Amino acid sequence: MALSNEAYEALQAIVGERNVTRDPAILDGYALQMLVELVRPNCGHYMPRAGAIVMPGSTEEVQAIVKAANKYNFGVKPHGTGWYHWASPMYDPGTRYGDEKDTVQLDMRRMNSIEIDEKNGIAIVGPYVIHAQLHAEAIKRGWSCNIIGAGSSCSVVAAACAYSGIGAGTMWMGGNAENVLGMEWVTPSGEIVRNGSLGSGDGWFCGEGPGPSVRGIMRGTLGSRGGMGVYTKCAVRLAHWPGSTDWNVQGTVPAYRLPLDKTFRVYTVAVPTWDAWTDLYYKIYDNEIGYTLHRQYNLAGAELAPAFWLMYTDPTKQLSDLPAMLDEPGMAELTEEMRISLQIVMAGRSEADAELQDKVLDKILEEVGGWKVEKYCTQDMAEFTNMYMNRLGHKEINYVYAGNYIGSWMQAGTPDWVKGYIPVAAAGYERDYRNGLLVQAGGDSMMGTVGAYPGGGIMGLEQFVSYDGADHESTAAAWYHMDDAVEDAKTINYPPGKEALYIEMRYTDEQAFDKWSKSKQPWTYVFQREIRKRYDPNYVGDRQYNWIPEEWERGEKHASTPIMPGPGRPQPAPEGYPTI
Amino acid sequence: MEDMKQDLIGIVGADNVLDDPVITEAYAKDESFVLSIKPKMVVRPGGEAEVQALVAWANKTATPLVPVSSGVPHFYGDTVPSVPGAVIVDLSRMTRILRVDRRNRMVVVEPGVTYAQLQPELAKEGMRITPPLYPRANKSVVGSLLERQPTLITRYNYSLPEPLRNCGVIWGSGQRFFTGDAGWGPADLEAQWASGGRQVDPKGPAQTDFYRLLTGAEGSYGIVTWASVKCELLAEPRKLLFVTAPKLDDLVDLTYRVVRIRVADEIFVVNGAYLAALVGKDAADVAALSLSLPAWTLVMGVGGRALFPEDRMAVAEKDIADAVAASGKQLLQAIPGLATSRVEAAVFGEYDGAATADGAAHWKLRAKGGVADILFHTPLDKAAGYLATMQDAAVAHKYPVGDIGVYLQPQHQGVAYHMEFSLPYAKDDKAEAAKARALYSAASKKLIDDGAYFSRPYGEWADPVYNRDAAGRDALRTVKKIVDPNNVLNPSKLCF
Repeated sequence: MALSNEAYEALQAIVGERNVTRDPAILDGYALQMLVELVRPNCGHYMPRAGAIVMPGSTEEVQAIVKAANKYNFGVKPHGTGWYHWASPMYDPGTRYGDEKDTVQLDMRRMNSIEIDEKNGIAIVGPYVIHAQLHAEAIKRGWSCNIIGAGSSCSVVAAACAYSGIGAGTMWMGGNAENVLGMEWVTPSGEIVRNGSLGSGDGWFCGEGPGPSVRGIMRGTLGSRGGMGVYTKCAVRLAHWPGSTDWNVQGTVPAYRLPLDKTFRVYTVAVPTWDAWTDLYYKIYDNEIGYTLHRQYNLAGAELAPAFWLMYTDPTKQLSDLPAMLDEPGMAELTEEMRISLQIVMAGRSEADAELQDKVLDKILEEVGGWKVEKYCTQDMAEFTNMYMNRLGHKEINYVYAGNYIGSWMQAGTPDWVKGYIPVAAAGYERDYRNGLLVQAGGDSMMGTVGAYPGGGIMGLEQFVSYDGADHESTAAAWYHMDDAVEDAKTINYPPGKEALYIEMRYTDEQAFDKWSKSKQPWTYVFQREIRKRYDPNYVGDRQYNWIPEEWERGEKHASTPIMPGPGRPQPAPEGYPTI
Repeated sequence: MEDMKQDLIGIVGADNVLDDPVITEAYAKDESFVLSIKPKMVVRPGGEAEVQALVAWANKTATPLVPVSSGVPHFYGDTVPSVPGAVIVDLSRMTRILRVDRRNRMVVVEPGVTYAQLQPELAKEGMRITPPLYPRANKSVVGSLLERQPTLITRYNYSLPEPLRNCGVIWGSGQRFFTGDAGWGPADLEAQWASGGRQVDPKGPAQTDFYRLLTGAEGSYGIVTWASVKCELLAEPRKLLFVTAPKLDDLVDLTYRVVRIRVADEIFVVNGAYLAALVGKDAADVAALSLSLPAWTLVMGVGGRALFPEDRMAVAEKDIADAVAASGKQLLQAIPGLATSRVEAAVFGEYDGAATADGAAHWKLRAKGGVADILFHTPLDKAAGYLATMQDAAVAHKYPVGDIGVYLQPQHQGVAYHMEFSLPYAKDDKAEAAKARALYSAASKKLIDDGAYFSRPYGEWADPVYNRDAAGRDALRTVKKIVDPNNVLNPSKLCF
């Protein structure tokens, strides 16, 4: 059902004619999102086209739009800064449960205010504020902020209220899920709910209560990814920045460097085995060292990363130099030296504290049989790492090899538990790239947080699988890599990883209900159905806020259509086909 | 009545159904000003299955249940029935420590596990959990965390419910459920442990943080039958440092700084009256100390743990000393006129072992036998304003301003401070009790009106606080209808 003229005029009346459009070219521009070709029929590059794009300028305008959605029967999907296909309308005809309806995309770019309470270390931001903006403002004032793994180009509100919110700084600074204080939520029914002290009119400093925390229904492991109303503002807790407030950034694009303050230490450290790697993590947790920590550089793949980053930081080199660099003397040794490695930035609150952290790290490395990777601890590389880890501004790397990437695995848990899937994830990727359709960066192309929860104890590793989205065969290989990763996890009794969330995007609502109704504790989805009934009775959101109808709860109904067919498996590699 | 008793005996056994009037009377009141309502019976389930059966029975018979996990004294009215005909579900028999995991620093406990029981067991593994300030020995660990009692080490307090992680819960509907990462797996802890699950991540499952709904709920949504809790390493060596000042304002900037750089372990601010109550041996001692102790004291713990513990403590102490010097204050190794060992006993003691079963010796009751606490959250820079509000109210009610204990505990890395006014009064003196109660009500109202955030709105605070946020109140009622449609769990306690 297309958006009616009456509905469109209502939107114009709310935001003004300049802030709403249904120009097909613009609509398609919004529909072109990351990972789309892995979840759309025939590996198409577009999500379903929105009925209109609307740019609200205030919470009140968002509220009016949502009320119009209920009146004129259209869906609403907010787009903060857009990362993944989650941010787009998701329904083709016949795939939505209940009424057919068009979906209006909200582009939040006009809501970009930042307010910083310097005394109390709190920032209040609008949904179009990205981490880089907030970080830059915070640093000037001696504060920093947790930047999510997806990078500093992502919206703070989206990360804090509507998605996950973990990154390289989470262990010390807290994840956005923990740091979010006040949230302003325009529900799909058009109400405005605020949590904690904000809801009581007492300010943005406390996210819990009064009594049971309303915060509990506003976000969980993930947020609702735009499927349950719109978050129009939030407050996040900032973290102390012990370094210079005036960054003397050096170097040239893309390899900017941040000189180390006296109280900073930056290293790439490595260990000989995965057992030593888990011991390293547990000892870092117990010793409370590190400001930002990540297994960052390995996103380029264990076989290529050592050469890749040397290329990246050398202004005379480019990507096409990489094959030759791999053959340079010493590169094979370096590749082995840093096969199991991570990057750590330690920021002392004083010089004595920095020296102590250094001493502790040395002792930990001695105990686990690890070492500092000398080539990656030179002043230039340390300064590059310092900039990278503290700003996470290099998201182009995700796409550098072939234009597209899919993150698989990334199940989060204790280091000991995560260690259990590493060999399977590595072997699966090696198997899947043997035919040359995926980038052969090494079966271990796993990047991940050292701490997926503040204080440590939880982490995860995401397998970076690079493919060429403009090449059908390569895209097909990535498509089936996701399916295969799910099956690989089953062989070791692990739950599926991130890829399962992406695969859900191929489903109709009813197919998703089938899946969720078979989960270990399906009452979660029953609870969320009842919350939806209250806050989205006309289902103007979408199933990114997961739920199941009563018929599925009772086992009386199942999806009647087959799951979207794949593009056909590419031919496996012939015997003897070379890999790196 | 007899049918009810037989039903309950069928669930928990005859020894665990108590209807002796002396016992039911004890559950009908606490140290707060809430109306005394006597329960019909007290039952003491021995495990999760019995809790689930009790909730099913309550739904069938429309009987209100009031969960209680800690021993007496209770202070806030949350365990006193708000309606007649209730059955108390006393969880104090559920005392199993289900799992201690040093490598992941996690412990899984039932709700009857107390600080006195747990901390020694954790110490054997070189761990502890960060306690609230000097909890009574019989205080339930799970109960304390569900109440969101403030804990002492703010740098470990990454969100207000921390270190609470996962919960097993029987909702008011009878639905059995696991929260957090335990909610993704089978509802079977043994099976989860066998497959490497450690109930570490509190978030979720899915788009809901269910555990947050259980905190501050006063048992009105569900009965928690186990919880996983994050532990910390025991600090050894450790010591306390102090800065004193004549005015609260004098300590504000320094406290901001020390909290911000996360150098201290325990850190809080108290006034002389509060500190006297905390360390005083008896009424006379408290009274004497109140007169002699500094007006305000910033208490900071430093400690060593893991590798190079002595170095770690020395560096922390030096960094604190530098911060104190930069503020123009003096860092003290002891509070003038008070043996440091007495403060250490309260701060490092982890629980008040001196408290007796009847509650008479609880440190808050030593001064005068009764106490009324007013507690809320505030940013630190507003604390002095609320103190003035409280003192003005005391003057207006002819309550001795010098008797007001004040405790400021930074939480959530210092963005919010638990502020507590402690008003001791002679419980047996009706006139004094009435005066204290009038002050408690008037000051609470004024503070709420002035923007003090009562995040744990016990008793008479509930209506004015929940009514400040109609949308939030409606959301809580929505949840209540889902998880406890027959309103059997602690009804009329919150906003439903």
